[in-house]
Amino acid sequence: MISNRLFIRLLAFAALVAVIAAIFWSQNPAFLSGGNIRALMRHMSVQGLAALGLTFVIVVRHFDLSFPGVASMGAMTLGWLIASGAPFPAAIAGALAVGLVFGLVNGIAVARFGLPDIVTTIATGGLAVGFSYFYSNGTSISQNFFMSGILDLNDKRIIGLDMPFAILMAAAGVAAVVLHASRVGAGMYATGQNRVSARFAGIATRRLIVLAFALCGTMACLAITLLVASSGAANVTAGGQLLMPAFAAVYLGAALFGRPSVGATLAGTLMMSTMLNGFTLLAIPYYYSDAIVSTVLIAAIAIFDPRLSGLLNFRKAAA
Amino acid sequence: MSALTADIPQRRRGADFLMRYAFFILVAVVFVAFAILRPTFVTPGNIHGMLMSASIAGLMFLGLTWLIAAGEIDVSFMSVAALANMVTAALVQDGQGWALASLGGLGAGVAFGLVNASLVAGLRLPALVITIATGALAASIAAAIGLGTSIALNNTGFVGQVLGLRVGVLPLIAVIVAGLYAVSWFVQERLTFGHYIYAMEQNRAAVVEAGVPVNRMLFMLFVLSGVVSSLAGVLLAANLSSGQPYLGTSYFLDGLTAVLLGGMALKLGKPNVLGTLAATIFLIGLLNGAALLGWTDSQRQIVRGSLLLVGVGLVVFARSRRKT
Repeated sequence: MISNRLFIRLLAFAALVAVIAAIFWSQNPAFLSGGNIRALMRHMSVQGLAALGLTFVIVVRHFDLSFPGVASMGAMTLGWLIASGAPFPAAIAGALAVGLVFGLVNGIAVARFGLPDIVTTIATGGLAVGFSYFYSNGTSISQNFFMSGILDLNDKRIIGLDMPFAILMAAAGVAAVVLHASRVGAGMYATGQNRVSARFAGIATRRLIVLAFALCGTMACLAITLLVASSGAANVTAGGQLLMPAFAAVYLGAALFGRPSVGATLAGTLMMSTMLNGFTLLAIPYYYSDAIVSTVLIAAIAIFDPRLSGLLNFRKAAA
Repeated sequence: MSALTADIPQRRRGADFLMRYAFFILVAVVFVAFAILRPTFVTPGNIHGMLMSASIAGLMFLGLTWLIAAGEIDVSFMSVAALANMVTAALVQDGQGWALASLGGLGAGVAFGLVNASLVAGLRLPALVITIATGALAASIAAAIGLGTSIALNNTGFVGQVLGLRVGVLPLIAVIVAGLYAVSWFVQERLTFGHYIYAMEQNRAAVVEAGVPVNRMLFMLFVLSGVVSSLAGVLLAANLSSGQPYLGTSYFLDGLTAVLLGGMALKLGKPNVLGTLAATIFLIGLLNGAALLGWTDSQRQIVRGSLLLVGVGLVVFARSRRKT
């Protein structure tokens, strides 16, 4: 029964993506060319990693509004380390460490000290943006980028896949194991459902919430590392473009598949990236595509809301 | 309530008093420090400018205060203001009068207020995600109106004249906004409507059980937020004599910081209009004084973020102590 419903949802999702793709293809046949699909997958990699991190926080029923700011600081840390001559694995480790530290701070503040999540993450995100200006007074950093090998992160291919997409797939694989095939993931869902009963069931809820925030921060910085690698420069505003697509991907996926999960987030990201890529290809200015994407998000949340879809089922049963 | 407070030991009541009013002391200390370090901070011209900015920002954050006090959130307010700003500017540039243009701007605010209200209060969808989406929608429409750039205006019409009026030494708009805040204070602290707002944050289900039309109240609050935000946007069109599609970004953090920081003063974590007003004046003064002292934007940002974090931490600490 449950797998049957999942199958229907998958079918509906595939049909939706096919319709969207067909519309873009009819407008510009280049949409389905190999080059464009690779561009789409690259775009999806950055957005998908940030959204995957956010998924953990949403699963434990919290919010994180700090990851765009944290990602900006991660980007600047990465740029500064590369510009000052650090080997690029160390630079990437530095960027990820920024995300980890901010994630831990968020998680401990929320889970251990009981601070409200939205306020706390707005404040830490603001702090991170402030710190990101320290490296270069706000100018973008791109010295040493060609020599350091970080651009390989964008250009290299591995088993036929572009490196960014391979990284996304690897991260998604690990995330899927953690969230759907381990006690940690089961504990996170239980924490999100009912914190008190989860704690009485012997789940270390606080530790799981801290872990969720830590993963969110770290993965946002991983996402921004890929973005920096593809643009070849680190910017203080780099993270700003992550907030809306990440929330949209997680909620779109959760709306399509009934609850937030790794698969749902990937599906949401695929849909968002397909639309954004298509609009770019048709040379539609960003402000129109933003408007369409946010409308789609509102519509998806409204239409797939359990009470509304319950209403539809009821009608079907009555008919 | 008075019977309860009487039981609290003297020492703790002192600490409580300090928590409530520490923010106001901080504001006074910082402002005096700015005045001593940079005498231009207290010249009439500078104070006038700060009052103008604080009035417009205060207007924008008024609806947000009540929404957060009621346990909801609206992160679309600054984009709605930007949209109203652009609609007004575009209509004026198109040759319409300022009256019609202002109505157009307000209409955009009412429309987005209604959309937020029906989605969150009507359909009970999650407020944060919905307003992130509607905010992005408003921001992109604002950018689309000017095709991505700002609109310069060559006249500021009657709105500009109203902004230029003074009552004695004070700008008229500051007096009006102060009056509006006084009325809002009365509504929130003295009328049952305001008590229901606080009660909704504590226990929504209990308020519903008590027979209060919670959804209708929430609906009103979201519409109100749209209206005051768009009003601020219209005023900004005259104040800046232009339409700025991206003016929202600078108000986002300031708005949430003002409401939350203000709520930590005075009411230990419950957003209230007096706190918002004080925090707005503080943030505007900080922006201005920091600029005079030659601080960078990032240093100001760090001060602001730290204050918010310390404030929320202190309040949670104080509340947990009180429970035990």
